[in-house]
Amino acid sequence: MTKSKWSLLLVLGLVLSLFLAACSGGDDEEPAEEPEENTEEPAEEPAEEPAEEPEASGEQVLNFINGDTIPTMDSSMATDEYAFQFLGATMEGLYRLDENQQLAEGIAIEHKVSDDQLTWTFTLREDAKWSNGDPVTAHDFVYAWQRAVDPATGSEYGPYMMGGVIKNATAVNTGELPVEDLGVKAEGDYTLVVELENPTPYFESLTTFGTFLPLNQAFVEEKGDAYATSTENLLFNGPFTLDNWESTAAEWELNKNPNYWDADTVQLEKMTYVVVKDPQVGVDLYNQGEVDRTGLSSDLVDQYSTHDDYVVTPETSVFYFKMNQTRNEALANVNLRKALSMAFDKQALVDTILNNGSIVANGLVPAEFSTHPETGETFREINGDLAVYDVAKAQEHWEKAKEELGVDTLEIEFLGGDTETSKLMNEYLKNQLESNLEGLTVTLKQVPFEQRLDLDTNMDYDLQFAGWGPDYLDPNTWLSLWVTDGGNNMMGYSNAEYDALVESAATDLATDPVARYEAFLEAEKILFEDAAIAPVYQSAMAQLISPKVQGVFVNPFGATYEYKWASVGE
Amino acid sequence: MTRYILKRILYMIVTLFVIATISFFLMKMLPGSPLNAENKLTEEQQEIVLEKYGLNDPIPVQYVNYIAGLVKGDMGISFQFDSTPVTKIILDRIGPSAQLGAQALVVGVILGVLLGLIAAIFHNGVLDFTSTIIAVLGTSIPSFVFAGLLQWVFAVNLEMFPVALWESGDLSYTVLPTIALMIFPMATCARFVRTEMLEVLGSDYITTARAKGIGQAGVVFKHGLRNALIPLVTVIGPLAVGLMTGSLVIEQIFAIPGIGEQFVKSITVNDYPTIMGTTLFFSVLFIAIILVIDLLYGVIDPRIRITGGEK
Amino acid sequence: MDKNNIPKELFKPIERKEDTSEKISRPSRSFGQDARRTLLKNIPAMLSLFVLLAIVVFSIIGPGMNEYGYDDQDLSRAKMPPRVPGLENISWLGFDGTLTEKIEGTDVEDATEKAIMRFGNKPDFTDIEVVEQGNGTKGSAEVKATFHAYDAKGMDDTYFWLGTDGLGRDQWTRIWRGTRISLIIGIVAALIDLIIGVTYGGISGYFGGRVDSFMQRIIEILVGIPNLVVIFLMLIVLDPGITSIILALTITGWTGMARIVRGEVMKLKNQEFVLAAQTLGTPNRKIIAGHLLPNMTGIIIINTMFTVPGAIFFEAFLSFIGLGILPPEASLGSLIDLGFDSLRIYPYLLLYPAILISIIMIAFNILGDGLRDAFDPKMHK
Repeated sequence: MTKSKWSLLLVLGLVLSLFLAACSGGDDEEPAEEPEENTEEPAEEPAEEPAEEPEASGEQVLNFINGDTIPTMDSSMATDEYAFQFLGATMEGLYRLDENQQLAEGIAIEHKVSDDQLTWTFTLREDAKWSNGDPVTAHDFVYAWQRAVDPATGSEYGPYMMGGVIKNATAVNTGELPVEDLGVKAEGDYTLVVELENPTPYFESLTTFGTFLPLNQAFVEEKGDAYATSTENLLFNGPFTLDNWESTAAEWELNKNPNYWDADTVQLEKMTYVVVKDPQVGVDLYNQGEVDRTGLSSDLVDQYSTHDDYVVTPETSVFYFKMNQTRNEALANVNLRKALSMAFDKQALVDTILNNGSIVANGLVPAEFSTHPETGETFREINGDLAVYDVAKAQEHWEKAKEELGVDTLEIEFLGGDTETSKLMNEYLKNQLESNLEGLTVTLKQVPFEQRLDLDTNMDYDLQFAGWGPDYLDPNTWLSLWVTDGGNNMMGYSNAEYDALVESAATDLATDPVARYEAFLEAEKILFEDAAIAPVYQSAMAQLISPKVQGVFVNPFGATYEYKWASVGE
Repeated sequence: MTRYILKRILYMIVTLFVIATISFFLMKMLPGSPLNAENKLTEEQQEIVLEKYGLNDPIPVQYVNYIAGLVKGDMGISFQFDSTPVTKIILDRIGPSAQLGAQALVVGVILGVLLGLIAAIFHNGVLDFTSTIIAVLGTSIPSFVFAGLLQWVFAVNLEMFPVALWESGDLSYTVLPTIALMIFPMATCARFVRTEMLEVLGSDYITTARAKGIGQAGVVFKHGLRNALIPLVTVIGPLAVGLMTGSLVIEQIFAIPGIGEQFVKSITVNDYPTIMGTTLFFSVLFIAIILVIDLLYGVIDPRIRITGGEK
Repeated sequence: MDKNNIPKELFKPIERKEDTSEKISRPSRSFGQDARRTLLKNIPAMLSLFVLLAIVVFSIIGPGMNEYGYDDQDLSRAKMPPRVPGLENISWLGFDGTLTEKIEGTDVEDATEKAIMRFGNKPDFTDIEVVEQGNGTKGSAEVKATFHAYDAKGMDDTYFWLGTDGLGRDQWTRIWRGTRISLIIGIVAALIDLIIGVTYGGISGYFGGRVDSFMQRIIEILVGIPNLVVIFLMLIVLDPGITSIILALTITGWTGMARIVRGEVMKLKNQEFVLAAQTLGTPNRKIIAGHLLPNMTGIIIINTMFTVPGAIFFEAFLSFIGLGILPPEASLGSLIDLGFDSLRIYPYLLLYPAILISIIMIAFNILGDGLRDAFDPKMHK
């Protein structure tokens, strides 16, 4: 009896030690002795660090939060904010945008445009180098651009950004022509000649965009599928290098690139990034001095709007809901669409739910975006409010719509996002529409972003809360969205007059800036006469930004932040 | 015994196969593919992307390929992270989760045993009452409520620990999440040990031991605890599995780059290969833990007879 | 009295009668009565039962106790703090309709100015209390600002007992409505588990042999699948909503009950009374329903008692991750999820649903323990 009991104890001990072993197994990555010291100290740590760091500095180090991991660092494959952000910081294209959103020298020193505006000749600098020492040449651009439209690459942005702009891009992408026929050629190592399909006034700003960045052919081909999956598989030619990164990394850093041609201008030595999704956590880290900038959600704005470091930065993204005229036939009725687009209080939404400096949108093209070539007025100033909140009018249209449709009640599905703020907005919009338009029932469908895109592509929704950020500084990035059968239309909107205006802006009016601009103005008016979409708001960012952060510019498109000229202040 | 183990392993494989099959076909029913994009691709491009992920084959072929891949340990390529194998994503993320889970389990079980022991020894006393209350609260209050409280009190107000994030090698980052995770195992163990202990202390051989004049300490530790702890092994398996559930929310709250956090993210971005891979990974872990515990139990407690028949 | 020396005269011979020797001096009680007695004496369990009943009643009448509907939005009254008539004058209770915050500044004036700005620049309705005088450096001064949210909005006669959420909806109404949904999910899920589990386990256990062996193989595979994984997969595939959650929870949830019932049936079916019934030619259906089930009531009730809080917890967990029910409907889990985001600044949004769900879970657990004790013959005294 006793013997067996002892053996039981022994086994029990073994079991326990197994678990202990399992535990220490988890700690294996770190040195075995350290943890003990650490457990004693934590109380002092957060307090000490922020105090020490600035003193030890004059050091040009900034610590930032990123909302998520970087999905890709392959410039041909990039489609989202974070990818373009870090491509922008680590790579350099023909130009980059300066503080005033004007072109600043990049790999290109200057360019000439032919009289017919179809041929652009860029002169490249000869001192630009890749981080492996190779010179950056015109061939790198040719290779990158060809790769972006090569159907074998499977790029989304390549054909989208280059199609209809660079000669033969669409034909190359559909496989009708070989990639060599793309309208981009290197004349020698340092001259790049680009042929365009049509005169494109905004081509300048395209040259700063991520998809147009150069690639080192030898390197990319050597790495094959592994290219751009981690720091080791990347080459940089921009102000910073991306270090300690791999595609799943939750932390990484940007370091000053000593090989950058303009390294003397770059003051920041280092930026660290950590993925934090919860804004509350971000604020806590900010308060402990561990990060130098953090975004604020609605509640946090309440709390921090009087903070010394509180900053609101306007953005150029506009959010609206799309009304799909094909699935639910009632939505083909213009009165119904008008009723819907006027029946919700946008001001209360931006003030209370968003509460981050966002402003009401009453048109498609955002405020402070693109000016009239002659008068200098902005697009929004000229066209004014095209879709405002007006319950009385909404109800008028609603009555007409019911009559025309021959119904008393109507059920409509509302497709929205599933983040905390979008959930609140969905609930609010549903409630507003239902209570202002009697007899209307709105059913909510809340899905993750990716799923929403899929439903959009299949036009499998009635109303969809969606948004758009510009890809270049020209009204075309907005108005080309809704041409008949356009790749982003996806709601069955079609108006021949609208199509003609947008088309002529891209072709026969392309060389006449004023007429072209007015065509866009006219097109937007038509869009809202048809009540094709219901604009809701234009976004802004409410943030806490440490006064240490100096000289960071916010771009209206592409990479959100420009760090080349940034420094640590104070 | 060998026959029993082999049989169990066979079951394990069948179960995994069923899970793989079900999750595969469920995922096929869902909208979404790597083609999700703001801008449409041309037909040719779609072909190429689908080819890359092997999605242009008929579904039965895809299924066979998937299962064949699994056998070789290949779970496919993530949609979310370009060209990254799912296996790598799981391996990258498993570290923090494993560490947290192990810490929570070990600390939780040890504290739970102590609490339960105290409660049993001071049966019906104040200490019993207190530890019972702790146990009831611990099993009842959802871990995410605890996590929020801990974060607020100890990190934000008292600044004793980091609010969130993960610093590999720095244990201070693990304290709060570990506590939040360990509450449930602790409470469960405490209740379990208390009941077992009371039962053991009331049994005949303990009375005999007392009659022989063995002191309270001797009775409790030498005779009581040992026998009370044996059945605890059966509880630990489900607890370890429960930690996986807990880790999903705890990792979110404390922004820890673990596998649970990745799983939730994969769900929101429709990264099906990763969802399936993680699902299978969880399942393997779960089934393996249960198997090991069952076998261990048979070894520890000779009263449990394993013959391959009914238990 | 000296126990060792009892006077002999105290001993009286007992009168022996044939018919009294078998007499039971205590009143005879059935097992059920016995269990009830034990339960009634168990104060924590009775208290829990009472609390649960109260919560059920409130989940029915609670939403109708004021004039606000669960989806009556009004952004002009968003995020109002709790205010209860009668209790509003007792400031430490937190029902006085004020918001309090500490605000830092370089000196008292600066901090005061910021504090007033913080609450919409309404100095008349903002009380300032100086906490730290400060010395002119950044963040050295601190004031405590108390903002009378109701008075400032001219809503003197309005009372939101538990405040309002970010869309101006009455939190009291939403919490009880959410409780109702959570309870429905918990109870329905438990009932489905019970029905499937008892039927499956009963059939498997009673018929034994090949039927049993086949049915057990299925269960073994199902049990092998982590329930978390099943629930996730189901919810990804199904449209969100109460039905989906219940379905996801029960799809493998019943296996626990089935196993227990099967074990119990196998134990019972070999006992004499069942053999007797079988010998008498009672049909199987009647034996299961009339003889076996009554003997398993205890264990089934106990198991169900623990299933309900389990389901409620899982629903809350799913809502917290964002896979829960569809708004504008609320559940305790979705309310907690929303409250979590504003924990620091509007803690009441998290506090009350969190307390409520904790109470429900605790009460179910204690009651379950009490029932277990009650149905355990060893515990009867």
